[in-house]
Amino acid sequence: MHTEHTIESPHERQNRHKAMEAIHVINALKEDFKSPIKSMEYFYTLFERVYCNHEPLHEGKSKIGTMCIQIPSEIIYALDGVPIRLCNGFYTDDEIGGDLMPQKSCPLVKATVGLFASDNFSDKPDITFSPTTCDQKTKAGAIIESFGHTIIDVGFPRTKESEASRAYWRESVKGFAVELSKFQGKKLTRTNLENSIKKVGYAQSLYHKLTEFRKHQAVPILGVDMFLVTNAFFFDKIDDWIRAVENLVAELEQRSSEGVHVAGKASPRIVYTGSPPIFPNYKIPLIIEQSDAIIVADETCSSNRMFNDMVAVDEWNLYDMIDSISDKYLKACTCPIFTQNDDRIRRIIQLVRSYSGDGVIYQAFAGCQVYEMEQRSVLAAMEREGIPILYIESDYSPSQQGQLTTRVEAFVESLKNRKRMKK
Amino acid sequence: MTKNKFSLRRAVNNMNLVRFRFWFQIVAFALIVYGGYIGLDLGNKLPTFACVFNGEGTGGKCYVGELQHDLKHPLEGFIGFAGYAFLISLGMFAVWFWALNKGWCGFVCPLGTMQDWLTMAREKSRIRFSEYSWANRKKIKSIKYILLILLLLLPVMIANSVFGLPKLPNGLSMPFCDICPGRMMIPAFTGHFNQFYIDFSSKTDLVMTTLGMIITGLFLVGSFIKKRFFCYFCPMAALQYVFSKPALLKLYKDGDKCTRCGDCYRACDMDILEIADDVKTKNMVTEDCTLCLKCIAACPEEGCLEANFMGATIFESTKEGFVLRMAMDQHKESHAH
Ligand code: SF4
Ligand code: SF4
Ligand code: SF4
Ligand code: SF4
Ligand code: SF4
Repeated sequence: MHTEHTIESPHERQNRHKAMEAIHVINALKEDFKSPIKSMEYFYTLFERVYCNHEPLHEGKSKIGTMCIQIPSEIIYALDGVPIRLCNGFYTDDEIGGDLMPQKSCPLVKATVGLFASDNFSDKPDITFSPTTCDQKTKAGAIIESFGHTIIDVGFPRTKESEASRAYWRESVKGFAVELSKFQGKKLTRTNLENSIKKVGYAQSLYHKLTEFRKHQAVPILGVDMFLVTNAFFFDKIDDWIRAVENLVAELEQRSSEGVHVAGKASPRIVYTGSPPIFPNYKIPLIIEQSDAIIVADETCSSNRMFNDMVAVDEWNLYDMIDSISDKYLKACTCPIFTQNDDRIRRIIQLVRSYSGDGVIYQAFAGCQVYEMEQRSVLAAMEREGIPILYIESDYSPSQQGQLTTRVEAFVESLKNRKRMKK
Repeated sequence: MTKNKFSLRRAVNNMNLVRFRFWFQIVAFALIVYGGYIGLDLGNKLPTFACVFNGEGTGGKCYVGELQHDLKHPLEGFIGFAGYAFLISLGMFAVWFWALNKGWCGFVCPLGTMQDWLTMAREKSRIRFSEYSWANRKKIKSIKYILLILLLLLPVMIANSVFGLPKLPNGLSMPFCDICPGRMMIPAFTGHFNQFYIDFSSKTDLVMTTLGMIITGLFLVGSFIKKRFFCYFCPMAALQYVFSKPALLKLYKDGDKCTRCGDCYRACDMDILEIADDVKTKNMVTEDCTLCLKCIAACPEEGCLEANFMGATIFESTKEGFVLRMAMDQHKESHAH
C-alpha cells in the first residue's frame, strides 16, 4: 500500500501526527492499568477508527458543529442532525492554530481553529453554531468563518441570575432552532423534540449510573476511561453510544459486586476540575492515575457538566420544551465565563463530599483566562472547607511531563499522609 | 445489590406525582363539595374554601367565611367569653392547618383544584401559559395581605365605630365572601347557580356583588391563562402563612445539593424563584407555596428537596424518580432516513 516514493501531503502528515498522539493515549489506557474493562474496547476502537484511521462515522448525515456545551443537542437530534462538538484536544492542531491566534491563547481554541484551518475532518461539519461563551471562543468564530466555513453565532449571556439573561437566552435558543430548521429543511415538532429530549435524557441517566459506581470504596473504573466515554459523546452515533454504555453499566455492576478496584487500597480519591480534558489531551488525568491516585469525579465541561443536569419539562408542548431546554443550558451551567462563580464552587464541594474525595486537582490551560482567573476563589473556598487542592497550569505540548509528574506525585503523597494521619 | 429490591420508600420517590395529585384532588374535592350528602361534617374551621354557600353539599365549612362572621360583634364583647371563643376558633383553624400546612392548597382546596383543571384544559389545547415579570411578581405579593386585613377589618367596622368613624353599612358584613369566586363556583358544582346574581338592594350590595361577578369571571379566564392565577391574591393563603412555621408537613431543601438548575422553579405554578435560587434556607414553605410538591418531582438531584412530616421524610427528589417521571428510562432507537 505504502510505496516509498509518495511524498506526504500536509493532510497526511497532520493525520499521521494525530494518529500518533491518539494511539499513544489509547495504548496507555489499554495497557498501563490493572484489571481492564471489556466493554471499554468499544471506545478504544471507536477512537482508533476516528483518529487513527480517519474514518467518517456519519456519511450521508447532516453534521452540525457546536463550539461549546451550550448548543442544545436535543434540538439538533430532533431536526435529524448529528451534533459534533468541535472542542479539540490535539497538539498537532494546536500548533497549526498557533499561527492564527495570539501567542498566549488557549490551546483548546487554537486546536479548534487549527483543525478548521486545515479543513481536514473525518466528519466535516456542514454548519457550526458558536455560543458566545469565553472571549476566545467568541472571537474564534470570525477567524474560522474567514476560512470559508459557515459559523452562526448564538448569543449567550454572561450572567445567569437575571430575568433579562433568561429571556435573552430563550430568544437565542429559539433563533438557533429556527436557523437550524431552515438549514435542515425540517420542522421542529412536539413529537420529534419530545423524543430527542427523552433520548438525551436516557443517555444522561446512563452516565449517572456510571458515576454511581465511583462513589463506592472500590472504584471499578478509571477516571481516564470515564473521560474517554464522555468524550465519545462529542461525535459518536448516539444509539451506538447508548448501547455501549449500557454494556459498560452492566459490566461495572458485575465488577462492583465482585469488589474490583482499579486503584490501590490507599490511593487518594481525586475530584478533577478546570479546563476540559479532551481526547487525546489526557495529560494531567493520566499523570494523576499513573501516580497511584484515582479520579472519582470531575467538574469539567467535557464530562460531568455535559451530563449532570437534565431537562425537566412541565408541559410536554413545544413552547415549554424549548423553554426548559433553554433554562437547563443556562441556569445549570457552571462554566467559568459567568460573572458569578459560587455554583461551580458549591458543585466541587458537593462532589468531594458525595464521592468521598480526598483532594481536588484544578487544571487550567495556560491561556484559558477564565479558569486561570477563578483559581483564587476556588482555592480560597477549598481552604475554608479544609479540602486539599492542587492548581496546575498546563498546555497541549508534551514537554513539561517531568515537572508536572513531580508536582502531582508530591500532592498525591501528601494526600496519602493526610489519610494515614486521620486513621 | 439492594438496588433492585422493592422498597416502599423507593416506590414513593418514584411515583408519578401528576397522577397522584390528580386523583387526590378529585377525592378531596368530592369530600369537600359533596361530602355533606353522605353526612360528612368537618366543622366550620377548615383552612380551605369549603364554601358555606354550598348548602347541604358541603363537607365542612370555610374558616374565612366564619371569621368574618365572628368579627362582626361589638368590641366589648371580645373581652371575656366571646374573646375566648374567638381564640378557640382560631386555634382550631390552626390545628387543622398544621396537619397539612400549605398542602391544603396544593391538594385539597376546591378553588385550587378548579384552577388546576383549567390549566389542564389549556395544556391540552396547547396554549402557552403566561407569566408575570419578576418585578410584578414581587409587587403583587402584598395584595393578599391587604385583602386579608380588609376582610378582618370591615366586619369589625360594621359593628363598631373605629377611630370615631361612622359604622359601615351592613352590606359589607361578609366582604370577602361577596367577592370570593368560591361563592359562585362551588355551589355551581352541586347544581346551585343562585349565587350568580347582582344585588340591587343597596349601593354597597350592588357594588360588592358586581365585583364578585367580575372576580369570578377573572378567576375563570385568569386561571386558564395563568397557572393558579387566583392563589396569587388569596387572603386564605395569607392567613395560613401566619401559622405556617409550626406546621407538621414541611418542604425542606438541602442547599448544598442544589445545582440551581432551575428545574423546580419551572415546575412551580406559583413562580417561586427562591425554590431554585435560595441555597441557604431549609424550610422552603414560602408565603405563596401551595405545597403541591411539583418542585420535588422535578428536581433531578438526589435528596435535594423533600416533603417532611414531623421529622420523617415522606417524599424526596431522586435521580431515579426524576428519570421515571420524565419518561427518560427507555431507549427508543431512531430510524435512519
Ligand atoms: S469551559 Fe465554558 S467556554 Fe470553555 S469550553 Fe467549556 S463550555 Fe466552553
Ligand atoms: S364565599 Fe369564599 S370565603 Fe366565603 S365561605 Fe365561601 S369559600 Fe369561604
Ligand atoms: S391559595 Fe387560596 S385559592 Fe389557592 S389553593 Fe390556597 S386557599 Fe385555595
Ligand atoms: S431542581 Fe433541585 S437542584 Fe435544581 S434548582 Fe431546584 S432544588 Fe436545586
Ligand atoms: S415551591 Fe414547590 S411545593 Fe411550593 S408551590 Fe412551588 S412547586 Fe409547589
